[in-house]
Amino acid sequence: MNNRFLINYIPGSTPIHKLNGTTKVLGFIAITVAIIATFDFRVMLAIFALCMLGVASMKPNWKPVAFMFGFLFVMNGIIGSLMVFLISPESGLTKTGMETIFWQTEGGKLYMSWELLWYAWAMFFKRVTSLSSAILFILSITPSELAAGLNSLKMPYKVCTIVSLAFRTIPDIARDFTDIKNSMQMRGVELEKASLPNKLKQYVMMLVPLLMSSFAKVENISNSMDLRSYGKCKGRTWYSEHPATKGDYIARGVIVLMFLWCAFYIIFFRNINAPAVDFWCPWVPKEISGYWF
Amino acid sequence: MERKPIIEFKDFSFKYKIQSKATLHDINLTIYEGEKVLILGPSGCGKSTLMSCINGLIPFSNEGTITGSCKVNGRETKNLSIFELSKEVGTVLQDSDAQFVGLSVGEDIAFSMENEMVPRKEMIPEVEKLAGTVGMQDFIDALPFDLSGGQKQKVALAGVISDKVNILMFDEPLAALDPKMGLATIELIDQVSKDKTKTVIIIEHRLEDVLYRPVDRIILMGEGKIIADTTPIELLNSDLLKQSGVREPLYITAMKYAGCDISKNKTICDIENLELSDDDKEKLMAFFHEETPEIKKEPGEEVIRLENVSFGYEHGKNVVKDVDIAIKKGERVAVVGKNGAGKSTMAKLITGIHRPGKGHIYIGGKDYKKFTVKEIGEQVGYVMQMPNQMIVKDIIKDEVELALRLRNISEEEITERSSNALKACGLYSMRKWPVDSISYGQKKRVTVASIMALGPDTIILDEPTAGQDYRHYTDIIKFINRLNSEYGKTIIFITHDMHLAIENTDRAIVFADGEIIADESVYSVLSNDEIIDKANLKQTSLYRLAKKMDISPEKFIEHFIRYERMVKSGE
Repeated sequence: MNNRFLINYIPGSTPIHKLNGTTKVLGFIAITVAIIATFDFRVMLAIFALCMLGVASMKPNWKPVAFMFGFLFVMNGIIGSLMVFLISPESGLTKTGMETIFWQTEGGKLYMSWELLWYAWAMFFKRVTSLSSAILFILSITPSELAAGLNSLKMPYKVCTIVSLAFRTIPDIARDFTDIKNSMQMRGVELEKASLPNKLKQYVMMLVPLLMSSFAKVENISNSMDLRSYGKCKGRTWYSEHPATKGDYIARGVIVLMFLWCAFYIIFFRNINAPAVDFWCPWVPKEISGYWF
Repeated sequence: MERKPIIEFKDFSFKYKIQSKATLHDINLTIYEGEKVLILGPSGCGKSTLMSCINGLIPFSNEGTITGSCKVNGRETKNLSIFELSKEVGTVLQDSDAQFVGLSVGEDIAFSMENEMVPRKEMIPEVEKLAGTVGMQDFIDALPFDLSGGQKQKVALAGVISDKVNILMFDEPLAALDPKMGLATIELIDQVSKDKTKTVIIIEHRLEDVLYRPVDRIILMGEGKIIADTTPIELLNSDLLKQSGVREPLYITAMKYAGCDISKNKTICDIENLELSDDDKEKLMAFFHEETPEIKKEPGEEVIRLENVSFGYEHGKNVVKDVDIAIKKGERVAVVGKNGAGKSTMAKLITGIHRPGKGHIYIGGKDYKKFTVKEIGEQVGYVMQMPNQMIVKDIIKDEVELALRLRNISEEEITERSSNALKACGLYSMRKWPVDSISYGQKKRVTVASIMALGPDTIILDEPTAGQDYRHYTDIIKFINRLNSEYGKTIIFITHDMHLAIENTDRAIVFADGEIIADESVYSVLSNDEIIDKANLKQTSLYRLAKKMDISPEKFIEHFIRYERMVKSGE
């Protein structure tokens, strides 16, 4: 039952798992800022390596991880890149500063340049990096730690408990839905054979009993929370949030350095000394790209 | 010794804001410190409302008008917040799943401490201690999804039972448990009540099960009023139970049938220690030897046959193992066993949602391999436990016609078949009513009618009476039995309820760990200790009574059922 859809409900025992919720949430924010800030393939590669190292250290089940990367490759790597090629083949020039065309149609409407390929690759890799950071975060944290971590960053605790309650109920709702679907199939709903609009209609129909049975539970849940003093105090303590350990302090040190680096990078390399084009490309000379390192 | 009143109702009435009539009328009731009290009554009698008045949910979450006074520990509840009251009153709610809000056992037990801003350092040892008091110390890191209903209930108790709380209330603690877990819960409640500073209030309608351990006092409620406030002995002696729609313990019914005088028997409440006088024994023996008509049934042709069926969700892990079953037309069969023993998987196999990994299933004599789920649905109908899980349309008639419309049947035939189904279920005059406006029992009928419209030979009902009091239970069962006797439907009950199985089925199929461990008459199943233990069932009180008389429990239970059917058919 643990590790459904990658989500862990029981804290693991590797060094990253053992960090507390606040550290994990902070780390995720730091990495996300770093990824958003940069279009430089070399920086992304470093972040990606860091994240994958972290993922590997948690000894995950690689199957769903590989599936997610595969899904991203098909949706973004293939379909996304094809779109760029079809819609705006000039992106190679605008994004990297140069254009070395090696193939084109007769009228020259569609063409392919090495820079366009690099641009598509770099965009794809940026998403791969985001995904790797998201996987790192999801694998490392339990929903309770997430709630506690968000709360420690001044998110109101009522919002945070909604997060953990959602994770508490998702598996139940999924099970209810399967039951309802099965009973509808026995009555004659054929989801496999239906056309897409019909299928959609039938799924919507099944939402009625799902909502009815879920709403009935809401009252019980809220009563049970009221009876145990939920909402009595302005704040709340968290059973799942252990105090910071040595590992947390080290990790937070690294996170602070990352934030500093992000600030420095954004100020100097994206503003004061911003390059002429967004994307660094290995063979475009410094004079054109403005990437002076 | 002067007893200290802990809960005092004086001329108390309550009316919910959304209702026109009061739910509680003129309640005068005093409960003393250290007492163990059972509040008994059918659904809708106001017992849950009474509980909400004590723990502060009224008026905190349910607005309404209060008249009169209700004091908890000397203080008027009207003037207290739910948070102040929760320090004195701990409540274990009925739905043990919904009240589990934490993501692990420890977290759920800690929930109220978290809200009280208890520092984590103090919380951890307290959680361990509380988990220990309910016997869950080895499960502190367990997830809610991996716990049984009984375990969740223990966690709920641990979550409200801190030192300061001196009133504990249990709202229908047996509702969601199998018979054996139910006994364990009653036992646990009894242990809690041994601490004489704690007052324990149990709200239930399953009298026989609660009386497994003694209670000091029973308060019988009906229609928002207190009908009786008395000792268990006096209540059992009176006719009040029958009048108010609460089921009498079976052994008491048997003794009353036999004509025993139970009024002078001081041990009458406790079947374990019941002492029978010579006169009682004589009368019971005479009762036992009375002639009763044999229950005969001509077995029809075979409708369902499972041959050597195995099935597993994961490779190599079979949850149904080498099962052989043959069910004949017109039979009524109970499928029993603890949660996860394979009962519902078997239902999913028969209905074709899952297909056997090994073996064959025949429906109406044909191997069902080539049938789709839809086609199987025309021969075997499946009715889910909660009507709300099935109903998708607003109007009763549309709901019943849904399955027909999905099959491209002509309009005339749809009308004819749905009308017949509606008539069979006693809903024809209500066919244009919105589903929202009808009661739980009527909704149950709607779901059965929507299955009946397809004209199946067999109907599988999953816990058809779960959570229903005796009166509603009787209504639903009567209706289902009519489908069997008048329309010749084969009925398969999937159930924990042994009363239901004893009185309404001819045969029990008992599952344990995916295997069938018994397939015989209900009375032989209930006389077999080994099967009872493996399947999380419990012995009925009739079994105990027979043992005390040194007669065969199997024969005694059988006789009792025949006698009861004879009496009921005479009514």
